[in-house]
Amino acid sequence: MYIHQHTCISAQQTFGEIELNTVKESVNNKLLAVEPKYEGIPPGILRRMGKAVRLGVGAALPVIKNNNNIDGIIIGTANGGMEDCIKFLNQIIDYEEGMLTPGNFVQSTPNAIAAQAGLMAANKSYNITHVHRGLAFENSLLDAMMLLKENQEAKYLVGGVDEISTYNYNIDYLEGWYKKTATVNTALYTGDSTGSLAGEGAAMFLVSNNSSNAVAYIQAVHSIHTTDTTQLSSALQHFLQKNNIETEDIDILISGENGDNRLLKYYKAIENIVHAPAARYKHMTGEFPTSTAIAVWLACNADKLPAHMFKSGDNEAAPENILIYNNYKGMQHGFILINK
Amino acid sequence: METMDKEQLKQKLKEQIIQFLNLTDKKPEDIKDDEPLFGEGLGLDSIDSIELIVLLSREYGINIQDPKEGRKVLVDINTMADYIQQHRTK
Repeated sequence: MYIHQHTCISAQQTFGEIELNTVKESVNNKLLAVEPKYEGIPPGILRRMGKAVRLGVGAALPVIKNNNNIDGIIIGTANGGMEDCIKFLNQIIDYEEGMLTPGNFVQSTPNAIAAQAGLMAANKSYNITHVHRGLAFENSLLDAMMLLKENQEAKYLVGGVDEISTYNYNIDYLEGWYKKTATVNTALYTGDSTGSLAGEGAAMFLVSNNSSNAVAYIQAVHSIHTTDTTQLSSALQHFLQKNNIETEDIDILISGENGDNRLLKYYKAIENIVHAPAARYKHMTGEFPTSTAIAVWLACNADKLPAHMFKSGDNEAAPENILIYNNYKGMQHGFILINK
Repeated sequence: METMDKEQLKQKLKEQIIQFLNLTDKKPEDIKDDEPLFGEGLGLDSIDSIELIVLLSREYGINIQDPKEGRKVLVDINTMADYIQQHRTK
C-alpha cells in the first residue's frame, strides 16, 4: 500500500511549515497539539467541533481537497471526541434528562471525525472508524490494505487521531499511565519512573496501489496482545520472516518508548533483535492511543528525522526499510513495516 | 427570579448566546439588538435554534413547544428579550 500524501497536526511544528529540530516543551505533563487556523473549515462549523474533530478534519481536509473521488475515509481513534461526550453525559445528569443541546451529542461519538470529513468533502463512499484503543490506527491501515486488494484502482484516506480530554487524562492518570511528578518532555527518557506525558494529534494519509511518485510503501502491519516479552520477540521474528526482511536490512527502528519504566522491557526486547538506529518520538508527541499515525508520518519524513530523536546510532542518508514498533499500556503491540 | 431592566437583560442574553453557541470570535458589543440572528445577520442555523430554545428553557424557564412561536421569538435580541420579560418563570 503506497502513501502519496500526508499531513500531521501534533504538539510540534508538523503542519504547514515543518520544523522538527526544535522541540516544543510540554506544559503540566501534557503535549497539546499546535492547532492551525483551519482555514478550510467554515467558522459556523468550526465553532461546534470538539478538539478531536478539529484535529482530524483539519488534517484530513488538505488531503481530501487535493484528491477528488476518494473511495473511502478510514479513521482510527481510541476515544474520538471524549470531551464532548462527557459534557453531553453530564448534561443528562445536570438537567435531569430534560432538554439537552444537540451540539455536544453530535460531536461526541468517535465516528464524528470520519463523518464530518465525509460531509465537508461531500464524499458518500466508504466511511468507517476503528476504535481498537492502542491499535486503532494499525487496524485502520489493515482495513485499507484489505480494501486495496479488493479494489485495485481505489484510493483511500487513512488516519489516526486522538485528543487529550479532561476525563481521559484523569482516568489514565489515576491508573498510573501519566507521570506523577512534573516532567518535561525533553527529559522524558532520563528518569526511572512509571507513566508518560499525555499527548494528542492527528495524521492523515492518502493511500493507493499506485507506486508512481509515492512517498513510502507500507509493506506490512501486525499486532499482538501480550504481556510476555518472549511472545513479543517471537511475533517480531515471525513478522520479519514472513515479509522476507532480515533484521540487518532495517535502517531505522522508530520506537514508541514513552518514558514509562514498566514498558522498557518490551522496547529492549525489540532492540535486542533489531540493531538499527532507534529513533524515539513520544517526547515530541506525548503518549496517546493512535500516536503511531504520527510515527508513520515521521517515517514518510525519515530523511529529516532530527538528532534528538535518536536513542542509538544516527540517521542514515537515505533509509529504505523502517520498522515502527509501539506498545500501548503494556498489552497492545503494533509493528508497521515501511519501505521508502 | 432575578430582576433586571431590559438593557441589562439584553447584555446578559448576548453573553449567554456567545457562551451557548461557542461564538468565540464575538463579543457582546458585536451583536446588535436588531440584527437578525439567522441568515444574513449573526449567521446562525437550525442546530443553533435548538441550542437557543434549550437556553431559554434552562436559564429562564421558558418552554417553547410550538415551532411557529419559536420563529417569532428567535428573530433578534429585541424579540428574545421582549419574550423573556413576558414569559420567564425564573
